[in-house]
Amino acid sequence: MNRAEIRMMRRLVAIALVAFGVPRVVAAQQGTGTISGVITDAASAEPLAGAQVFIASTRQGAMADAQGAYTIADVPAGTVTVRVRMLGYEAIERPITVTAGQETRLDVGLHRTAVTLEAMVVTATGAERTKEIGNSISTLNANEIASASASDPQQILAGRTPGVTVLANSGQPGAGGTIRLRGNNSVSQGNDPIIYIDGVRIFNGHTPTTVGGRQATMPLNDIDPADIDHIEVVKGPAATTLYGTEASGGVIQIFTKHGSDNRPIWSGSIGEGINNMGHVGPSDDPTGLFLNECRGPDLISSDSTRFEDPTCPASGSWLQNGAVQRYSLSVRGGNTTTNYYFSGNYADEAGVIRTGGNKDGGFRGNFSFRPMSGLDFALSSSYTKRKVNWVQDGNNGNGFLLNVSRGPYGNFQGSGCADSTVICVNNAAILTAPSVTNSDHYITGLTVTYNPGEKLNNRLSVGYDYNNALLTTLEPFGFPRADLGQLYWETWNRTLITMDYAGTFKQPFGGSFVSTSSWGGQIFDSRNTASSISASNFSGPGEPTLTSAALRDVTSDVKERVVNAGFFLQQELAWRDRLFVTAGLRVDGNSAFGKSFGLQPYPKLSASYVISDESFWPSSIIETMKLRGAVGESGKAPGAFDAVRTWDPIAAEDGQPAFTPSQLGNPNLGPERTREYEGGFDASALSGRLGVNFTYYKQHTFDALIPMVFPQSQGFLSSQLENVGQIFNNGIELSVDAELVRNPDFDWHARLNYTTINSKAGDLGGQDIVISSVMRTHVTEGYPVPSYFGMKVLNPNAFADPVIDSSAFLGSEYPNKIISPSTSITFLKHFTLDVLGEFQRGGYLLNALGFQNAYKGVWRPCYDVQAKMRAAQAGDASALNDVTALQRMRCTQVSKDHNYDYWVESSDFFRLRNISLTYDLPSHLIGGVRNASLTFAAQNLFTVTDYTGTDPEVNDYRDNSFGRRDYYNFPSYRTFLASLRVTF
Amino acid sequence: MRHSFLRASWGVLAAGVLLCAACDFSVTNPGPIEDSQLNTPAAMPGLVNGMSGDLSYALGNFLEDLAVTSGELSHSGNYSVEREYYLGTVTPEDANPDWGDMQRARWVAENGIERMKTVLGDEFNTTPLAIRAYLYAGFANRLLGETSCSAVIDDGPKQSDSVYFQRADSDFTQALQLAQAQGGQDTLASAALAGRASVRAWLGDWTNAAADAQQVPDDFVFNAIFSDNTERENNQVAYETHTRREISVWGTTWATVFGDPRVPWDSVKTSKGAIQTGQDGKTPFFREQKYPDVGAEVPLAKGTEMLLLRAEAALRNNDPTTAMSLINEERATYGLPAESAPDVDSTWTILKYERGAVLWLEGRRFWDLRRWNAEGRDTFLDGRTKCVPISANELAANPNL
Repeated sequence: MNRAEIRMMRRLVAIALVAFGVPRVVAAQQGTGTISGVITDAASAEPLAGAQVFIASTRQGAMADAQGAYTIADVPAGTVTVRVRMLGYEAIERPITVTAGQETRLDVGLHRTAVTLEAMVVTATGAERTKEIGNSISTLNANEIASASASDPQQILAGRTPGVTVLANSGQPGAGGTIRLRGNNSVSQGNDPIIYIDGVRIFNGHTPTTVGGRQATMPLNDIDPADIDHIEVVKGPAATTLYGTEASGGVIQIFTKHGSDNRPIWSGSIGEGINNMGHVGPSDDPTGLFLNECRGPDLISSDSTRFEDPTCPASGSWLQNGAVQRYSLSVRGGNTTTNYYFSGNYADEAGVIRTGGNKDGGFRGNFSFRPMSGLDFALSSSYTKRKVNWVQDGNNGNGFLLNVSRGPYGNFQGSGCADSTVICVNNAAILTAPSVTNSDHYITGLTVTYNPGEKLNNRLSVGYDYNNALLTTLEPFGFPRADLGQLYWETWNRTLITMDYAGTFKQPFGGSFVSTSSWGGQIFDSRNTASSISASNFSGPGEPTLTSAALRDVTSDVKERVVNAGFFLQQELAWRDRLFVTAGLRVDGNSAFGKSFGLQPYPKLSASYVISDESFWPSSIIETMKLRGAVGESGKAPGAFDAVRTWDPIAAEDGQPAFTPSQLGNPNLGPERTREYEGGFDASALSGRLGVNFTYYKQHTFDALIPMVFPQSQGFLSSQLENVGQIFNNGIELSVDAELVRNPDFDWHARLNYTTINSKAGDLGGQDIVISSVMRTHVTEGYPVPSYFGMKVLNPNAFADPVIDSSAFLGSEYPNKIISPSTSITFLKHFTLDVLGEFQRGGYLLNALGFQNAYKGVWRPCYDVQAKMRAAQAGDASALNDVTALQRMRCTQVSKDHNYDYWVESSDFFRLRNISLTYDLPSHLIGGVRNASLTFAAQNLFTVTDYTGTDPEVNDYRDNSFGRRDYYNFPSYRTFLASLRVTF
Repeated sequence: MRHSFLRASWGVLAAGVLLCAACDFSVTNPGPIEDSQLNTPAAMPGLVNGMSGDLSYALGNFLEDLAVTSGELSHSGNYSVEREYYLGTVTPEDANPDWGDMQRARWVAENGIERMKTVLGDEFNTTPLAIRAYLYAGFANRLLGETSCSAVIDDGPKQSDSVYFQRADSDFTQALQLAQAQGGQDTLASAALAGRASVRAWLGDWTNAAADAQQVPDDFVFNAIFSDNTERENNQVAYETHTRREISVWGTTWATVFGDPRVPWDSVKTSKGAIQTGQDGKTPFFREQKYPDVGAEVPLAKGTEMLLLRAEAALRNNDPTTAMSLINEERATYGLPAESAPDVDSTWTILKYERGAVLWLEGRRFWDLRRWNAEGRDTFLDGRTKCVPISANELAANPNL
């Protein structure tokens, strides 16, 4: 934008403001000077890149560069207050006198602190200081994000924030995971947190599940980690009330990088590495479910049935090291009026099976324009294109792991074996059936901020989130299990339009008090369009289209739109800038509510007290202590038309139009509501070297939308949502940060996050809710949500006949304890070692792979047991003397005893999520470059678990995301990555 | 200055209100049809097609379970519920889908008939749609009666399973009367007669059952319609045997029957010439060929069944000669040679076999085994579940149970 265009823009804005009745404000142009200086760590004297320096009461400011240097030009002459902030450091304010036409120097050393009360976080009403907020809000800063060496936001969130559960779901590149904030508080309406990117709400779920891959991508993962400045995690309804209906699962806000008032700064990174799979399945299986080893003498079943697969790769293993490439480049810069941030990224990640992989790339442009003091325009746009090649997986007759691990009993019997006496399989045929997700994700948002003075703030955001995906699974002509071929084709489009306004008015009164009134409203327009077609019987070979098929079946066609609108009012009262009491009310309407429901009110009340500001507080020991407490409500709306009795159009009588009952309807349907109480403290001691954040929360979901079964003799078979249930969650979140050693040559920082999530279903209207009978997944009064129920061996380790409880609680499907230790050590000035591990405890998982393969005689831990069972059958009863009761039920090959229930296993695990070593290249090695670093990182380096399936984190079939099971799903792989980051 | 703050805020709010006023807040979800939109004559063909569709869906999905619990096929796959049926155990939980599908087929037809009467008025009696609607109601009730232990009607209390047959009798009678009154509806009239004959027999009225059966031509067939047009219209037995290998003829009586056109099956070999195993990797897979593709239709009523019904009526009158004559008339229809039996007992043996062959995989065997077991004529169901219990969902949700 040249100067003439800027002038033109200013004129247009001025005209617009006059039209709104806003008096024209003339920017002070005469008598300005410049402030410059360097921001450093007060203890180590190291420069603090990214520190924010700005003039109080204005929007003028700059960001410190890699050397900690900053410059703010056009500062009005006179005395101004300079504020310096950086996450992890105490904020500082310094008065300084600026002389017209001169440069004034201000160097600042910041002190580290584990608790930063002056840091700004963005709430529904706008930016607020941490000290004012009565809830727990976790922030991940740019350094933590960079040290994660993550490929997507899901990996960043895993283990780094208390209260957050991340389960990977699959080891296929591109697969989306499951994210929960404080567990599950809804049975029917999903528990995914809502997500904002730079103030624009985006679709927070997954794309549809592919027919072949049985997994789905997650649009959240389209945000490139290199673009993220920081992430805020707002966990429960006590904090999310003002976000309205649907926010009871929490809120994740991602803020991407923006420009700075500097000359252009370029940053680039190149990452090269490999994906590698370790041993798969039970440790005593030398073949790793015949994946690690697909050739040799161990290809044998429990009854000595041998098999060969001539299509096994020459390496003797189906697994490969998949190449990983990641590239990103960005430039940021600007001046006092405009700034910009452009970036582009590309990643190509091959899977550990040769046809699997993920490619994604995109670009981002963030622009800010300040035509006059107090008025800002911020435009953020991003586009990501992704292609995932899935390996056929999961509960799928063409599933690769399903067929390979079944050895001689897979579905791809074939020819070409050297030994004519063995069973011959050709599993490579599976890899000729591609399953692909192609997606486009575009996000754009314009935020206008108008602050005509310190007292009044207005923010208006308009955003558009566009997701489009094409999912195909092709069984080509001549494919062994579909001779004439078959094509599954689905298009999916999901858009979300956001309009969001918030205003605040701040007014001091009575000497010690400040009143802050906030008001605002949002409109969310969500549209979902999806069509799927199954086409089969192609005329011949070649790449088919839908029209190549003789038979075409439109299997679904959805065009759905739901609008949610609401407004809020909030009043905060501050006393001496240390006690803050806030009351708020959110009122929502939703077009899916039943006719009897109008607007839904959600109240909140919170308080924050910085008790360490009191004179009686022993600040010499604990320098910062903030007590906080909050209560608030949020809710989730039912789906479109859930309130109405409907019929589905179908085909019958060989293609004739027909109707069948669809949904009973409930005109009294309303949102379910979650009320949460939370209390805790944020403390910093020992000169900021020890920080503790503690929160206890208690949630009560009432009027829970429960899918109730109605008498089938009434003709409507689908369950109908009713507001009848209750769900209780409570737990604690503890984060302890310790600066163990602090000096310029050796710096050792450690953190421990500890989370408990205790979930229990309350009154469910007298029903035991069966989520999936096959998956043994229930929601039952008095038990975690959801849980496995079924038959249980009461004497599992006894060398005796099993004693069976036919209807027992088998375990929670989600963990109830998460412990994440992490540490960061900087040594020899230039080296930094980051390590993050995570324990998840208390969860259980149905190992359906073990269940199926044991019965077929291809589950290695049962080989010895099954031999003894055969001996016992032959008359040697003593053969079972050292076979436990649980082994007898798991390894049985008697149809009537064979049952999933015995395969619900503890999914406790420890996983080394990330370990990385970074070398900051010394300046004498990088002439002409601001800074450069080299990082060697490993993700998921090892896992410790007693779970015998493929991976305690996997889940089959993403559409049914509430219950979980392991059904021949690829486990998580390890990623080794070397990356070079350069700033110049 | 404060005044300007307020003006600014009102300006922004006004802009917001203007933006909101331009918004369309309506929810849209095209596809599902609101119940009231069916109250038009134009919707009646679709409503009746839906009755047919729901009946075929219920029958098509239940056939696999009925086949394995009746010894018509063996379980050779991975589905756990089917394995339970095969082992002779049917729990209320396992009954959920099939009970639901059958009840929906009944409710859609019976409720649809009432809607048709309201919407069509006098025209109801002159449209063939009404005949079809009564037929679907009758066959849905018969399917429930032949499989279920108890009757439950529209959220009502538990009743004798014979209630289904009584309702079917009434439905078939209504269909027959309309077909006769309208004229030119011979196929629908024969279907009504065949349906009524069967349910009257099950109610113990063998005389009138035989009288109805006698009016049905030997080569008459009235089918439940299946199609490869959409997945919902598929014949699931065909899918589970020709796409998957979940059920096998191996291990049944019929695995030793070769060349009977009523019981066609073959074996599938691997590349090594061995018998292919089922989906469970263990059970030899013998593939039924009665339904070679997912569009294969399933008979609801047949003239040959009527011959056997008349034969059974004769046997119950201790007339094995007439019975054998009718059985051989049935066999001749399929090109099979005549058989003979010296006495009543051996005629019963032949009759039981013939009904098994003629009605193979049509969802009828379970009822035959159940009623013969109750009369002491057959032991297959000894120690096994003899009928489908009221489903767990019905028990949980119906306040009258």
